[in-house]
Amino acid sequence: MGYNPDKPMDGRISDLGPPHYEQFFPPVIKANKGKWLWHEITQPGVLMHKSETDDEVYTVRVGTARLITIDLIREICDIADAHCDGFMRWTTRNNVEFMVDSKDKVQPLLDDLASRDNRFPVGGTGAGVTNIVHTQGWVHCHTPATDASGVVKAVMDELFDYFTSMTLPAQVRIALACCLNMCGAVHASDIAILGVHRKPPMIDNKRITGVCELPLAIASCPLGAVKPAKAEVDGQEIKTVKVTVERCMFCGNCYTMCPAMPLADPEGDGIAILVGGKVSNRISAPKFSKMVIPFLPNNTPRWPETVEAIKKILEAYAKGARKYERVGEWAERIGWEKFFEECDIPFTDKSIDDYRLAYDTWRTTTQFKYTSHIK
Amino acid sequence: MPTIEHNGKSFTVDEDGFLLKGMDEWNDEWVDYVKGAEGISDLTDEHQKVIDALQEYYKKNGIAPMVRILSKTTGFPLKRIYELFPSGPGKGACKMAGLPKPTGCV
Ligand code: HEM
Ligand code: HEM
Ligand code: SF4
Ligand code: SF4
Repeated sequence: MGYNPDKPMDGRISDLGPPHYEQFFPPVIKANKGKWLWHEITQPGVLMHKSETDDEVYTVRVGTARLITIDLIREICDIADAHCDGFMRWTTRNNVEFMVDSKDKVQPLLDDLASRDNRFPVGGTGAGVTNIVHTQGWVHCHTPATDASGVVKAVMDELFDYFTSMTLPAQVRIALACCLNMCGAVHASDIAILGVHRKPPMIDNKRITGVCELPLAIASCPLGAVKPAKAEVDGQEIKTVKVTVERCMFCGNCYTMCPAMPLADPEGDGIAILVGGKVSNRISAPKFSKMVIPFLPNNTPRWPETVEAIKKILEAYAKGARKYERVGEWAERIGWEKFFEECDIPFTDKSIDDYRLAYDTWRTTTQFKYTSHIK
Repeated sequence: MPTIEHNGKSFTVDEDGFLLKGMDEWNDEWVDYVKGAEGISDLTDEHQKVIDALQEYYKKNGIAPMVRILSKTTGFPLKRIYELFPSGPGKGACKMAGLPKPTGCV
């Protein structure tokens, strides 16, 4: 029965939830669920899991752009049909994994993937750089301060060799969010790319009455910079808000709540770089990433400054860190002042916390190292 | 800016069909128009109760009530509100009452 717009509730099906995942298990996964003994990474992008039943499953991981066409999904399905009995899966970092149940099926699959230009790069395992978790950017969101897909492509092009190899001290997670709503993982990644504004919102008094719930705009500000105000529009007094510009730190929360307070600006907007976060509990507890570069311009379409900054951090880390050490663990071991020196990042006052609980982030000890930053 | 004509009245709306001038342009014809667009066959006292509650709260506080407050003041559990307004309290009831479009990560 087709949808009838005159009777929208007729024949409506709802609250089904997702289909049960077991429906989509490859036979070898279904047969060995809960029985896996050990696994190894046989080469970058290829994993082998051994079961107590002696079964083996080989997994080939390939990078994707996350934002993809149905044509590409169909091509992925074709590959799965040809090699994996029609089964495949997506990872939590938007890589794709093809699974086969014997070793001799691996090479034909790899050859097939390699024959498709570079649409299916194999890698993303072990101590390398896997896919960048990212957001909507200028493709779809209304609050971004930078783009997502464009920056991610530029960075992954430069770091491509780290995707297909496992030469780093530990895995490096890179994430991007196009505004500080931080949809995704930027607050807890080894290296994070974050869209930031540098100008306060503009207030459109002509629109504000019909589109804003003023108390929400006022309550949305973390710094109490938004206040109730009156204004005159076409000779009529209306209720509006005003922004104390010296208090505003350009978070954009008020725009999220009130469409009449836009703040995006081509020159003002750009990217901040954060480092040192992680989510695993391995050795050290999970960490938040910290802001080390306050601003890089939105230099479209290749963001050379951002790409350069990330490469420099990654290479300094690769050179300086010990085996198994994540970026944050390395920075904390050598001291953040040394981190700035090793990565050749100028330290600015913007990296000094000044928000509410800031005190704990300052140094209450005489222990520090002299670096090139102290003249 | 798109306008909608209905029963001889015209309304300025945004791309989602919310009144851009809010309750200033709100009237019975608007309710009748949204009724059709939202697939509501008969406007009952219960519908009216929800609209009144929303408008009263908005006039007093400048914001739409939280869903739990709407349930409390009308006595309708969320399930009933969805039965009355299939698109829900935001896209259905607030639109019909002439409140601003809900914002945030909706
Ligand atoms: C409560 C259960 C789970 C939680 C909370 C969880 C959480 C996570 C998180 C946070 C990551 C990202 C780690 C990072 O990149 O820093 C991750 C990655 C991953 N998880 Fe899980 N996970 C769970 C269960 C599973 C299960 C059951 C499997 C598979 C059988 C799985 C397979 C993976 C894989 C393969 C990756 C790496 C993906 C990639 O790098 O492309 N996870 N998981
Ligand atoms: C005796 C059991 C196992 C042990 C001791 C073990 C140990 C490990 C270790 C040490 C790592 C590397 C972690 C890191 O680099 O931070 C790892 C990674 C991983 N393990 Fe296991 N594991 C076991 C079983 C499994 C099973 C049963 C699965 C899935 C069915 C699995 C899936 C993975 C995956 C997907 C990765 C990440 C590979 C990558 O992206 O580099 N492991 N495991
Ligand atoms: S991070 Fe901000 S701009 Fe990017 S998708 Fe999320 S809310 Fe939109
Ligand atoms: S941008 Fe952020 S800090 Fe500035 S006024 Fe709006 S909510 Fe407040």
